[in-house]
Parts: sequence; structure tokens; C-alpha cells
Amino acid sequence: MKSTPVAYGFLLLGLICVVLAILYVIGGILPTFTSSGVAGPHYKHAILFGVLAVASLIAFNFSRPRTV
Amino acid sequence: MGLLQGASELFPVSSLGHAVLVPSLLHWSFKQSDPSFLPFLVLLHLGTATALLVLYRVEWVAIIRGFISAAFRGSIGNDSERLAMLLMVGTIPAAVLGVFLEGRIKALFASPYAAASFLIANGVLMLVFELLRRRSERRAAVDHAPAASREESFAQAERISFRAAALVGACQALAFLPGISRSGVTIGGGLLAGLRHQEAARFSFLLATPTILGAGLLEVPQLFSSGVPLGEYLAGTVLAGIAAYASARFLLRYFRSGRLDPYGWYCIAAGLVSLALLALGL
Repeated sequence: MKSTPVAYGFLLLGLICVVLAILYVIGGILPTFTSSGVAGPHYKHAILFGVLAVASLIAFNFSRPRTV
Repeated sequence: MGLLQGASELFPVSSLGHAVLVPSLLHWSFKQSDPSFLPFLVLLHLGTATALLVLYRVEWVAIIRGFISAAFRGSIGNDSERLAMLLMVGTIPAAVLGVFLEGRIKALFASPYAAASFLIANGVLMLVFELLRRRSERRAAVDHAPAASREESFAQAERISFRAAALVGACQALAFLPGISRSGVTIGGGLLAGLRHQEAARFSFLLATPTILGAGLLEVPQLFSSGVPLGEYLAGTVLAGIAAYASARFLLRYFRSGRLDPYGWYCIAAGLVSLALLALGL
């Protein structure tokens, strides 16, 4: 589905995932969003959001309309 | 444990359910509530993933190449690229659900009663999948055809829709429950999406590889900090890999014309017998 709003939605989602991944690596900022509630780095969540960021950016590349 | 896990992982009978049930029934000295139990199972799963990588080595090279080229181009040009994107779409739901549900699911591992009950549920699911498949065959008027030509009227893995791939992937999360088979629910999901039995098994095996490898990467480091006998665990991993390779070869041949029903009946029987043995304290 080629659509500018959908493409930019994926881009925004990708950027949010990048920010969340960085925050989980830094740790101490998102303790309430971890299963342990511990304020340290949470690499499992960071890797997941990193993967989701890559997937969102691929989806952005697929859905953006191209001018030939 | 390695042989048991490797042999049962790819069969639609829940390796995890068996890994929880068998040690309890045979009074082996595994503590399922031990923090190293889940990483140990994941290590055995890595043996299985390695066997699948070896089995599909040529296909994985094409899939990885297809993934990179399709991701950068932003379009799908051939079957390998489509399969790569389908696998990505199928893997994401399992990864998200796995990471966020893991804590709650760990609590269930300690209960062989839960594993036996889920094993029965898994058996019922397999029978339901085949019931729905037979309905599709009747609709396509191929229900009386020989098995080989009946299967021909269904699709290859590359033709599954992206929505169906995501649903099949999400079904993988059910397998975090001990007793529910990952390969069973994904093969069943593939059947509902209109795949041939053999193609549903192939898609299930391909989908399993990144999921299991990902889970392994996240859990295995815990093994090195918990003072476990790594030599024995690695021997188990090698045995799991050998058993998984043989199982995959057998299943791909079986599903040319075979169905899920025998595995469904086996799960129901094994679950009921296990519940009875556990209740009697034998």
C-alpha cells in the first residue's frame, strides 16, 4: 500500500522505537516500563525496540510513494 | 533431555510441555522453577535452530540476500524476497509478545499440571485445524482426490498473505505456554491460510529459526552466570540438534500426504495419562 500518511506513520513509529531503544540502553529513565521495575539498563527491551525500529523503517521504505 | 527436546520440538506435540512433564513423571532432578531451567531449554532450542539452519542453508542464504535487497529497494522482486518479508512480519508479533509476556509465563513452568492440561488443549487444536482444513477441501471439491493431488490445490509458503503471516507469527506466542506446540499452531495457522501441509511445515520451520535464535541470544547469557554444568548442557544441545534434523527430514516427508490428526490424538492421550499419573503421585 503506497501512501504518504502511512509511510510517515511508519517513519514516526520507527523514530519513537529508536528513542525508546536508546532510553532502555541508558536505563534509569523507564523503570515503570520494565517487568522488573528496576531502574538499570534493560537490554532485552532495547534490542526489541531496535528490531521494531528497523522493521518500521523498512515498512516506511515500502509504503512511501515514488515519483518515477 | 536433549534428545527429547530435539525430537519433540518440530513435531506438533510441544517440546516444552514434554520438557516440563517428563522430568516430573520420571522424577529427574531438574528443578523447573530454577532460574537456569528456561535458559537451559533455550540452549537446547539453539541446537534445534542450528539443525534448521543446516537443513535450509541454501534457502537461508537466498532469504538473507532477499531481505537486504527488498529492504533497501522498498519493493518485492522475487519469491525469496517475499518469503524474507513474510518471515519478518511473522517474527515480530512473537518477539513482542515473548518479551512482554515472558515474566508471567515463567511462573507456569513450575506446574506439570498446567503442562498436561495445555497438552490436551494442543491436541484439540490440532484436530480443529484439520477439521477446518477438511471443510476447505470440501469447498474446493478435492476432498475425495488422492492426497498428492488434493495438496496440489493449495498454495506454497511464498503465496501466504502478509496478514496471515502476522497471524501465524502471533500464534507462535501461544507456544510460550508449556504444552502448546509452536510448530503445531504455526502449521495449523498455515493450513488455515491455505498452504499445503508440507509448505505449512516448511513455513513453520523457517519461522522458528529467527524466533529461537533471538530467544537464545537473550537467554543464554544467563547460563554463564548461574554456575550450571555447561559441558553437559552443550552435549544436550548437540543431541537436540541431531534429533531435530532427523525429525525435520521425517516431517517434511510425512506432510507430503499426512495430516495433523495423529499428533492431536497423541497429545490428548499423553495429557490425560500425565494428569492421571500426576494425580496418583506415580
